[in-house]
Amino acid sequence: MRDAAGEAAQVPGVAWPLVGALPPGARVYAKFAIRSFQKQLAYKFEYFVGVFNGLLFIFIFTSLWRAIYANLESPPAAFDLEGITAFAVFAMIVRISMTQDDMSTVGKIRSGAIALDMVKPMSYFGMMLSECLGQTMFHWFTRVIPVLAVSLLAFDAALPRAWENWALLAIAWPLGYLIMFMVNYLFALLAFWFIETFSFHLMKYGLFTIFAGGIVPVDFFPEWLKPLIESLPFMYILYTPTALFTGHIAGADALRLILLQGAWAVALGMACTVMWRAAQRKLVVQGG
Amino acid sequence: MNEHEPLIRAEGLTRTFRVEESLEGLLGSFKNLFSTRHRLITAVNNVSFDIHRGEFVGYVGENGAGKSTTIKMLTGILTPTAGRVEVADIVPYEDRAANAFNIGVVFGQRTQLWWDLPVRDSFDLLRSIYRVPDDLFTRNYRELAEALHLEPLLTLPVRKLSLGQRMRCDLAAALLHGPKILFLDEPTIGLDLIAKDKMRAMLRRINQTRGVTIILTTHDMDDIEALCGRIMIIDKGSIAYDGSTERLKREHVRHKALEVEFHDYNPEVVAIPALKLLRREGNKQWLRYDPKAGTMHEVISALFRDYCVKDLSIHEPKVEDIVKAIYEQGAAPKAGAAPVHA
Ligand SMILES: Nc1ncnc2c1ncn2[C@@H]1O[C@H](COP(=O)(O)OP(=O)(O)O)[C@@H](O)[C@H]1O
Ligand SMILES: [Mg+2]
Repeated sequence: MRDAAGEAAQVPGVAWPLVGALPPGARVYAKFAIRSFQKQLAYKFEYFVGVFNGLLFIFIFTSLWRAIYANLESPPAAFDLEGITAFAVFAMIVRISMTQDDMSTVGKIRSGAIALDMVKPMSYFGMMLSECLGQTMFHWFTRVIPVLAVSLLAFDAALPRAWENWALLAIAWPLGYLIMFMVNYLFALLAFWFIETFSFHLMKYGLFTIFAGGIVPVDFFPEWLKPLIESLPFMYILYTPTALFTGHIAGADALRLILLQGAWAVALGMACTVMWRAAQRKLVVQGG
Repeated sequence: MNEHEPLIRAEGLTRTFRVEESLEGLLGSFKNLFSTRHRLITAVNNVSFDIHRGEFVGYVGENGAGKSTTIKMLTGILTPTAGRVEVADIVPYEDRAANAFNIGVVFGQRTQLWWDLPVRDSFDLLRSIYRVPDDLFTRNYRELAEALHLEPLLTLPVRKLSLGQRMRCDLAAALLHGPKILFLDEPTIGLDLIAKDKMRAMLRRINQTRGVTIILTTHDMDDIEALCGRIMIIDKGSIAYDGSTERLKREHVRHKALEVEFHDYNPEVVAIPALKLLRREGNKQWLRYDPKAGTMHEVISALFRDYCVKDLSIHEPKVEDIVKAIYEQGAAPKAGAAPVHA
């Protein structure tokens, strides 16, 4: 599409052969994902730190479980030592594979920049999800793969052989990812109603850290707490994909968890729609 | 849609905001913890108007008068508290996306371009967002790049652009999909004189050659004099004047202003009934002349007779002065009312 004169007026858009094959309505979301992927390239230092942090945490948690198990008379019914270290490794890798930027919507609401996203004919949810996916794809290359490779060599973790585990992961990971995205999204939208949302986020991080199963698997919580954990969305984010992938949960129980994930995804999806509508009614855009 | 029907129709448009009132002082901040008092601000109050295809409307008002709030309701960002508005047969806040295809928006204080992307890539994203067909996009892109002298800017990230350059790119971004209506909220704010002039020339061209209907908010009267055939003045949320800029000038043109320089002194009051003090500075006074209270001949004779005048000049009123006079009078009787005589 270069001008005969080679002027700068050449029209952009030729660099996207794959995107061009998509239907027009979907192109924009693919582009958002790619842009967001590219944007990450600017933060080189950060992904080295990310890999280092991931490995450090895996080292700490596996060492911790070893120390704990060494002092036990008999291992608990839920996990033997090998099981719990494998769980710790993969829970951390799943966690890294789901890294999401949950503050950009809050920033846009605060600054009023969201007004400009609202005068465009597109779904804000779709735009944010695509950006998030682009970022995640980037983390897959720069963090998940290196951390996984080192873990397989350095910590006694092995990838499951059975195809069922991989199939379950292929369903549970996207659902977990979507649930996490929507929980973040709902919390971010609170900024439309409240000027100060820090305490909400603190609460979210707390609940996530404790109940998502990334540090302590749900099995180790006391019985009386389990109904609460099961009625919150957090355990379906990290615990479920990790438990299904490592084979800790299989068969009918695995299917039950996937159905629950699906139900949560649908419920949260509806909540996002309702809350976005309410936000639009309420919308108070800051500044001129 | 009928050619003669208004493109934009607002009826009784009203928007209130609930703001928290916080008490001052230490005791006050404790009280704030337990009770919050709310106050209602009526940012836009029962505003009605029709705007037709091809018009170039200046929406004028002081800071906080309600200009941006009105624009936000017309673009679908805000839902009105009361009243109704239709933009090209669409209720913007009910069908934000459909409305978005018809309009272009530029907010002077913020950019719709992606901060860290080269301008060209932002344009490419907009092309996908608005699903602009290839041939139309190519045509618009070339035309705008040439008219706004964008070539040297296209490969730069937005954060490296000066304000004037960024505004040119933002204007192009708002027009890439060929909207019928362009909303500009303080597009010249912060621009230097040369950049302002360029921007104005560009807007005039867009209105005249492309037939785009333009609604421009500003508190810079020079924008209005240079561009707008019609002026709507909003004061504290209500329309204080709505009519042609020509008529506004014509009806106030007889209210000339005298600039009088006195010899070595400046009298406390100039006791001539037809003259009203506007401003004083050093040995000079600016006085508004009211033709109903005497002829210009009588006034000037009296001045030279009773005072020691060194120099005198007579000015035609500027739109700015007229608008100021309207503000001083307070909001007009009713929305969409006949022009107010200053
Ligand atoms: N989001 C908001 N919350 C509370 N008050 C607001 C908000 N937006 C505008 N206002 C108030 O409404 C009035 C009109 O504001 P605005 O429309 O921005 O004026 P303008 O654009 O003419 O300067 C001002 O008093 C302003 O403080
Ligand atoms: Mg404003």
